[in-house]
Amino acid sequence: MATMATRQSGIRRVLRGRRSRGSRRAAAHGVPDTLPTDAPKVDFAPTDPLLAYLQSSPRPVLVDHLRIDSPAVRALRSADVAVLVPLVTHGELVAILSLGRRLSEQEYSADDRRLLETLARQAAPALRVAQLVREQEAEIRQRERHEQEMHVAQLIQQHFLPRELPSIPGWNVSAHYRPAREVGGDFYDFIDLPDGRLGIVVGDVTDKGVPAALVMASTRSVLRSSTQRLIEPAAVLERVNDMITPDMPPNMFATCLYGILDPDTGSFRFANAGHNLPCVQTDDGAVEISATGVPLGLLPGSTYDENEVVIPPGRTLLLYSDALPEAHAPDREMFGFPRLVEITGASGDAAIDTLLSELDAFTGPGWEQEDDITMVAIRRLEADATRETSSSSLSSRPDPVDHDELDCFTVPDDAIDERAAMRRVGTVVDDLGLEPARLDNLQTAVAEAVMNAVEHGNAGHQDLPVTVRVLASSRDVVVQVTDHGMGDPPPDLITEPDLDAKLRGEQAPRGWGLFLMRALLDDLRVERTDAGQVASLVLNRTAAFTKGARS
Amino acid sequence: MTDTTCEFGVRETSPDMAIIDVRGDITPDVEGPLMDAHGVCEHARAIVLNFANLDYLNSGGIGLLVTLLVRAQRHHQRLFACGLSEHYRKIFELTRLDDAIAIHDDEAGALAAAREV
Repeated sequence: MATMATRQSGIRRVLRGRRSRGSRRAAAHGVPDTLPTDAPKVDFAPTDPLLAYLQSSPRPVLVDHLRIDSPAVRALRSADVAVLVPLVTHGELVAILSLGRRLSEQEYSADDRRLLETLARQAAPALRVAQLVREQEAEIRQRERHEQEMHVAQLIQQHFLPRELPSIPGWNVSAHYRPAREVGGDFYDFIDLPDGRLGIVVGDVTDKGVPAALVMASTRSVLRSSTQRLIEPAAVLERVNDMITPDMPPNMFATCLYGILDPDTGSFRFANAGHNLPCVQTDDGAVEISATGVPLGLLPGSTYDENEVVIPPGRTLLLYSDALPEAHAPDREMFGFPRLVEITGASGDAAIDTLLSELDAFTGPGWEQEDDITMVAIRRLEADATRETSSSSLSSRPDPVDHDELDCFTVPDDAIDERAAMRRVGTVVDDLGLEPARLDNLQTAVAEAVMNAVEHGNAGHQDLPVTVRVLASSRDVVVQVTDHGMGDPPPDLITEPDLDAKLRGEQAPRGWGLFLMRALLDDLRVERTDAGQVASLVLNRTAAFTKGARS
Repeated sequence: MTDTTCEFGVRETSPDMAIIDVRGDITPDVEGPLMDAHGVCEHARAIVLNFANLDYLNSGGIGLLVTLLVRAQRHHQRLFACGLSEHYRKIFELTRLDDAIAIHDDEAGALAAAREV
């Protein structure tokens, strides 16, 4: 009986279907033979000298004639293997055919071995092809599992991020969350506390995917419940740490900053479990406010420092995750904390938007975002600005710096028509001198954004309006499409559409909208604000910034 | 979304070759008429989609073309396209639809390629 050892993580093989000596004797004496029985397994260590020998001498070999002292040879002899036939293709040993003794009890002849060698020469390439196909199928299955896991992670994470931003008279709270393709474990949260105070959380779980999302979800829940029992931020983090540490998976932990904003006094009192320090604007630029403590989930019984800062009127406090300072330029230079602090200090009332613009300019086109980016900005308004904000529903939207508003309209709620919106934007920007092809790109992206806003942002409620705002600067055109941020994210936010997968029925035929927008625009940002979910469609006006120039 | 209109005229140039003339918008709303048009020429070996009078194609319409491709593959048919504007040709390229639906500048070129199937 012959068996084959194939190549999978080294050669590990196995004899099966060989007959025992007893059954061979029975066959030789004309006694009806029994069915082949399983033989003992023979494992070849990848470093066994027999493998190197067979690779260098690819022809059938009698085991009894082998002069190699190795565990594999000893195991083969005790398993009663008579002949080994190496299958080698392109210099690579892909399998070993092993044969037991002949029924006649005679040795294998030279003719037998020639026949086996011919067989091996023809079988080896075919077997290698089959192995490659199997490896490729395994890779595809692995990739699909990975994509599915990313999808689940994204759903978990999105579910636990706040759907609305807090609305506090005299304050403007904004947040930005941009997931990496390999979803990380960033989170932020706002918790209503007694006496009009607001609990603010920003955190980051190590690792990515579903494990990080689950730790993020449980940390958030424990933290929320702790804020209802305890007052001091340090006490809250100490309790959270003690509760989650016993169940924290190995090599995982969460950095977290928890603070309490008193809107009446402007005080922000916080404790910090290994997270980035908050940054507050002052007359002399921005400064970091220190408070130390080990991340959550590492050491039970950890204690945390507290610190307090009073946010001056007209100034912003910024909380952020480490993907921002740790972003890299094409030459591997890091964005860094000093740059972040400097930009924050000079950014006026648009800290998040300015930082994003600077980040985009720093990282350049085609940047593969390494981790989730999260920012929360808490701005204390000047007394007169408070009145302006409360009277304008648009002022809380993420305003790009130095842009003029060219148009702002609501897509008619009785008959949402993405083509009407697309045509109107086309007319509005007609004077800006965009190349016709780029104007087509912008218009198509606007139509897709409006459709996404209705279908996903407004969860298909055609009675909910979608607002379109057109802004322009000397550098770019920005079209903001605002919806209610209610529904599930579009499928292509999570899984890149792939035509082959769609044709194989592994992805739905639809799900191209976000993909098209990203491909046709120079930048696409989706942010949650207190006005809803805002998609900012950016098309650069100058050739130096266009995708064509980049490519 | 507002209702969209599209007409799909079918011309059979030979027993195993057909042309579908697209006139109007391709959005998910026109799935029925497009599949009906395909049903008329389901015995053809090659089908040319003439987009010379295409007004508008959105991402849902791309999804619809993917559905058509799946049906065509089931019938062992090849699809060809002609008459696409530069913009929609670019969208075919971005989505890699042009890998599955060979694009030609005009109907004559598409038919010549279809005859070689």
